[in-house]
Amino acid sequence: MEIIEHPPILHIAAIPDHILYTWIVMAILVMVSLVAGRRLSLVPTGSQNFMEMVLEQFVKELDDTIGHEGRRYLPLIATLGLFILASNLMGLVPGLVAPTANLNTTAACALIVFVTYHIIGVRKQGFIPYMKHFAGPVPLALKPLMFVIEIISHCARPLSLSLRLFGNMMAGHILFAIFFFMMGFDGVLGWALSGSLGGIVVGAPSAVVMFVFVVGFLLPLKILVAFIQTFIFCKLAMLYIAAAVEEVEHH
Amino acid sequence: MQRILTVSLMAILAVPGMAWAQAAAAGGTDFTKAFAVLAAGLGFGLAAGLCGIGQGRAAGSAAEAIARQPGAVARIQTAMLLGLAFIESLTLFVFVIAVILLFVKS
Repeated sequence: MEIIEHPPILHIAAIPDHILYTWIVMAILVMVSLVAGRRLSLVPTGSQNFMEMVLEQFVKELDDTIGHEGRRYLPLIATLGLFILASNLMGLVPGLVAPTANLNTTAACALIVFVTYHIIGVRKQGFIPYMKHFAGPVPLALKPLMFVIEIISHCARPLSLSLRLFGNMMAGHILFAIFFFMMGFDGVLGWALSGSLGGIVVGAPSAVVMFVFVVGFLLPLKILVAFIQTFIFCKLAMLYIAAAVEEVEHH
Repeated sequence: MQRILTVSLMAILAVPGMAWAQAAAAGGTDFTKAFAVLAAGLGFGLAAGLCGIGQGRAAGSAAEAIARQPGAVARIQTAMLLGLAFIESLTLFVFVIAVILLFVKS
């Protein structure tokens, strides 16, 4: 990877890249929030309008998934969602790093969700009833087995949640790195510029074709993936919270 | 018949060992690395193909459902996206394993 991948534009030796870029994302989000919330008015204009539009989407999904009580979890879900979305989109700019293309960042987000929905469940139902829930509606003899299986499946949730986001972002990152490498001065463009006949006949057209392919197909695909992965992460977090909350009404 | 099978199986099993012995005698190619590359390529190809089948079925069913009931587009899309994410995450596990095989020095 070191051969084909250029170091990012902003790089401080003592700080790992994903942490540095996490700070940048945080700074961007804080600044956007401050600008949007500076002069709050009942009739929103400008940036406040934009942020309200974004948050409305989160509120709509929360209402759909958790129900009326869902808005209590808006701060958690919307913060995670905005952070992940901003990180994903930042990875699309060549020379910048997506913090979510590092397993540490996504694992942190997934663990926050994991711990939070268990705490929410325990606070809603109390410790013993919540633990009973893992055993499920099966005969008494099967309950220990069911309990173990449920525990394992719950532990697999943060794993799949973090690996899904990380894998998607990392795959896109490697794909872009490989394509830019093949396209650039070390690849077909360098071949075309070297002045040999083969480079001019074959190298230059393939450089153009590759550029059109990347800009016309891969980039829109990556933007779509960035939004979809954010949506999936938030939706799954909501579903987990909904599953932890909703059992109260059944029993 | 069975004897031929057994002998050929043993031969197949013996080939890498012989090759390894030769390479070791010749001064060493890293066979772990070679098999890691092979495993990453084959594994990820397999995972991507099967994931394509799975996602194709899911998307096809969603398209059918939308055609039958255009009013429920939003709900069907949400369900489809969630399903696709679950199918895809299995492929991504393989992707992570492939990356580990290829880039982590052991």
